[in-house]
Amino acid sequence: MDLFQSTRDAFHLLFSGDRELWGIIFVSLRVSLTALAIVAPIAIVAGYFLATKRFLGRRTIVIVIQGLLSFPTVVVGLVLYMLLSRQGPLGSLHMLFTPSAMILGQMMIVLPVLVAFTISAVQGADPRAHDTAIGLGASRVRASLTVLWEVRFGVMAAIFNGFGRIISEVGAALMLGGNIAGLTRNIPTTIALETSKGEFAQGIALGFVLIALALGLNFTLARFQGEGGLK
Amino acid sequence: MSAPLLRVTGLRKEFGSRRILDIPEIKLEAGKAYVLTGDNGSGKTTLLRILAGLESAKIETYEFEDRALPLASLRDWIRYQVIYVEQHPYLFNTTIAHNIEYGLKVRRIAKPIRDTLVSEALDWAGVNHVSNVAPRHLSGGEKQRVALARTKILNPKLVLLDEPTANLDQAARAQTIALIQKMCQENNCVLIACHDHDIIRLPNMNILTLADGTLQTPSSSGVKLAVIS
Repeated sequence: MDLFQSTRDAFHLLFSGDRELWGIIFVSLRVSLTALAIVAPIAIVAGYFLATKRFLGRRTIVIVIQGLLSFPTVVVGLVLYMLLSRQGPLGSLHMLFTPSAMILGQMMIVLPVLVAFTISAVQGADPRAHDTAIGLGASRVRASLTVLWEVRFGVMAAIFNGFGRIISEVGAALMLGGNIAGLTRNIPTTIALETSKGEFAQGIALGFVLIALALGLNFTLARFQGEGGLK
Repeated sequence: MSAPLLRVTGLRKEFGSRRILDIPEIKLEAGKAYVLTGDNGSGKTTLLRILAGLESAKIETYEFEDRALPLASLRDWIRYQVIYVEQHPYLFNTTIAHNIEYGLKVRRIAKPIRDTLVSEALDWAGVNHVSNVAPRHLSGGEKQRVALARTKILNPKLVLLDEPTANLDQAARAQTIALIQKMCQENNCVLIACHDHDIIRLPNMNILTLADGTLQTPSSSGVKLAVIS
């Protein structure tokens, strides 16, 4: 392998607008951002609820969610594969080896990340924030949104982490998507499989894209995150 | 005598088996200023929070402007009329101008009107110079004045202030007291929990004393007596 030559080829692929390469990037972004967009509102509300309400079984739910953080993505893929395969209970949906199956898998993976981080962020909020909002006439929903805005640094961190986890995960995407060219082939499955075939240029190019995506999205979202730190 | 702005009867509060408050009746009249005194731990903050609907308690009746309100959703009924200001006010992590604007946005006041009112409130509290500053850069006295401006701008019928001059230096205390005095003169009903003699001695201040969980006959400070049964 000539690392220098492969890297040069990688840049050529990227900047020549290689259709296949950019198609793979598009699949990755579409799947991960869709999964994140569907799950984020639900997870943030659930995280806020678990952080602020006391009820029987709450502690158990929190422990299970924290446990799911370290759940191997390949196991999530395996469970969903069994559910979605033709003989499985959801086989009639014909979702296996489609982008929808990949989205479903990534939703399962990102959900505990967002819930756990939101719980942590909201529990760290100053309890006076909610009372002050209520005291100034805010409705309960408005006061909750105000608290979430106050802890936006933590909530945004949850979203960064969640995105980072799913954009780069390979296990579930491979099992549920099947790495079908032009349909379910995404960045991590391509890197894993193309590299094993000796195709380094595409892998390096996609590696650069992953890094650029991670940095770019973080810079963009950081604008909404605020400064954080001790007040 | 005019009808009270607020009349609460049969107010009781317990923490476990310990009874904190047992007040048969408390009445506050519109446009009057009250000071609530009592030892540390006597339940002043708890009483203020209960009256603001922020803390639950056993209450027989809660009448606001002669109207009995449902206790289960008390805060929803009085949220635009009653404002409680904490001893150490919390300022949202945004600019001071946005902090002052918050209550107006909640009330869906139009932006041009909000801008005018915020500008007036900043002047009123003398905090114009920090309007675009983050709260963490403010002194304790400035924070208290911002909290008062944030309250005053909403023109609530009842303002509940919890130890507004506690832990302030002499100059900040004087500025805060001057603002409280202005607020009292502007026909708001103000109930202030404090030990500060300079507030207690303000003109037309009515004194309520909380001891052993109930409101006592006013002290002999020479000021006008409160309406307590």
